[in-house]
Amino acid sequence: MGSHRVVKTADLPVGKRQIVYLEGRSIGVFNVNGTYCAIRNSCPHQGAPLCLGTVTGMTLPSLPTHPGEYLYGREGEILRCPWHGWEFDLTNGKSIYDPNKCLVKSYEVTVEPEESPGIETFPVTLEKGWVVVHI
Amino acid sequence: MIQQDRGTGIVKHPIKKGIIDCDVHVYPKNLDEIRVFMKQPWRDRYRGGGRGYFENPIHGSRLDAKPPSGGSPGSDPDFLREQHIDPNEIEHAVLLPRAFCNMHPDPDFGTAIAAAYNDWLAETWLGKYNLDGIFKGSITIAHQDPLAAAKEIERWADHPHFVQVMTDSGARAPFGQRQYYPIYEACERYGFPFAIHPGTDGMGINSQPSPGYPTHYIEWHTCLSLSFQAHLVSFITEGVFERFPGFKVVLTEGGVSWLPTLMWRLDQEYKALRYEVPWLTKKPSEYLRDHVRISSQPLERPDNDEHLLQILEMMDARHILMFASDYPHWDFDSPTRAFPRLPESLRQRIFIENARELYNL
Repeated sequence: MGSHRVVKTADLPVGKRQIVYLEGRSIGVFNVNGTYCAIRNSCPHQGAPLCLGTVTGMTLPSLPTHPGEYLYGREGEILRCPWHGWEFDLTNGKSIYDPNKCLVKSYEVTVEPEESPGIETFPVTLEKGWVVVHI
Repeated sequence: MIQQDRGTGIVKHPIKKGIIDCDVHVYPKNLDEIRVFMKQPWRDRYRGGGRGYFENPIHGSRLDAKPPSGGSPGSDPDFLREQHIDPNEIEHAVLLPRAFCNMHPDPDFGTAIAAAYNDWLAETWLGKYNLDGIFKGSITIAHQDPLAAAKEIERWADHPHFVQVMTDSGARAPFGQRQYYPIYEACERYGFPFAIHPGTDGMGINSQPSPGYPTHYIEWHTCLSLSFQAHLVSFITEGVFERFPGFKVVLTEGGVSWLPTLMWRLDQEYKALRYEVPWLTKKPSEYLRDHVRISSQPLERPDNDEHLLQILEMMDARHILMFASDYPHWDFDSPTRAFPRLPESLRQRIFIENARELYNL
């Protein structure tokens, strides 16, 4: 149950991911449009390496009066499992099809300045720093 | 103890040794591997080709199944072993290549494609990739020409690693009809079960089993079971299992949980309509245990596991259900995660014994 510096912010640009092994768990760390997120690298469905999946957007709920009309959005915020394609919200680990019953563990992520040895956290927009995952 | 593989990230649950996977798909590294076995004019004419319009809009194969060496999923034997065979402790994998030869209007072309796939499979996955003999193969046939298909079956009758005949579910007529008899006669004579796998429904010369073409892949994929149901009812009611008492059918990837209710329905119809099919000597459902096997993937998973366990009981899964993963396709079923917890004796039947008995493994 600790905090782990996993990657420098400069090495994790928007849309990229880093898979790390922390405290016996495989965890994916993602830069989602400038915000850092971390989730367990295991799909709750059949145990696939979830964080190897496609980072993408999603078809948003259509208006009930307009079946057949696609509204597309949330580009970069959705992770699709590499096996069965189930969609997960990278920002909280919840599945799109049933956010309350199907979800993957997500972890708190902060950014620390590169030079500081302390544990003080800074806003995630910091340009030079470490991405820190808190288990 | 649950372990997570550090390299792949896949969570591993403990499994018993030696399961049998009844549906693994392998592919040539490139089409020239197939063409080299074709005579002209087919060699120049063959350009591959899949099942047409209904492709998964997300991805068709597991994204992590693409071999590091390049090429398509299921084309690299070392990687297939490393990713699927070894970690899942698979004793035998039954290979089903995807030739899609049944959609062609020219039966000679379909037959040539089937033969080339068989030659390729024999040389590679059943030959030089198979020194330990874990891979077992399926003889691809083009059912447009049943006589030619029977000859193709005969050509491989003595091969040590071909264990069944396979065809796409796509057809111009239900499989119980007697124009197909030469195929079943050859299957029975040489001891090959006849496996049906989804494919080419509504494509080329084949009928679409739904009313017209569905709009979406989700509809098409859900309704894969339709042609399987029609073929199974046809096999039984046409008396194929009476005419060929040693003949066995394997329903691969056509769904599972529909089986008991379809049999209830057919048995009920039989009470009134036996008159129409007097060649049957017993209730339709009573043919299943001797003549029909069904593979598990893609296994339906209702919210309540108990409901699925009841279905397995109703369908006599203990005697007719065989595990399949469908590796490397997108709807892969994990040997350790696809099923709810099963009683050990039932698990042994589904994951090992039913296939071992059917294929004499």
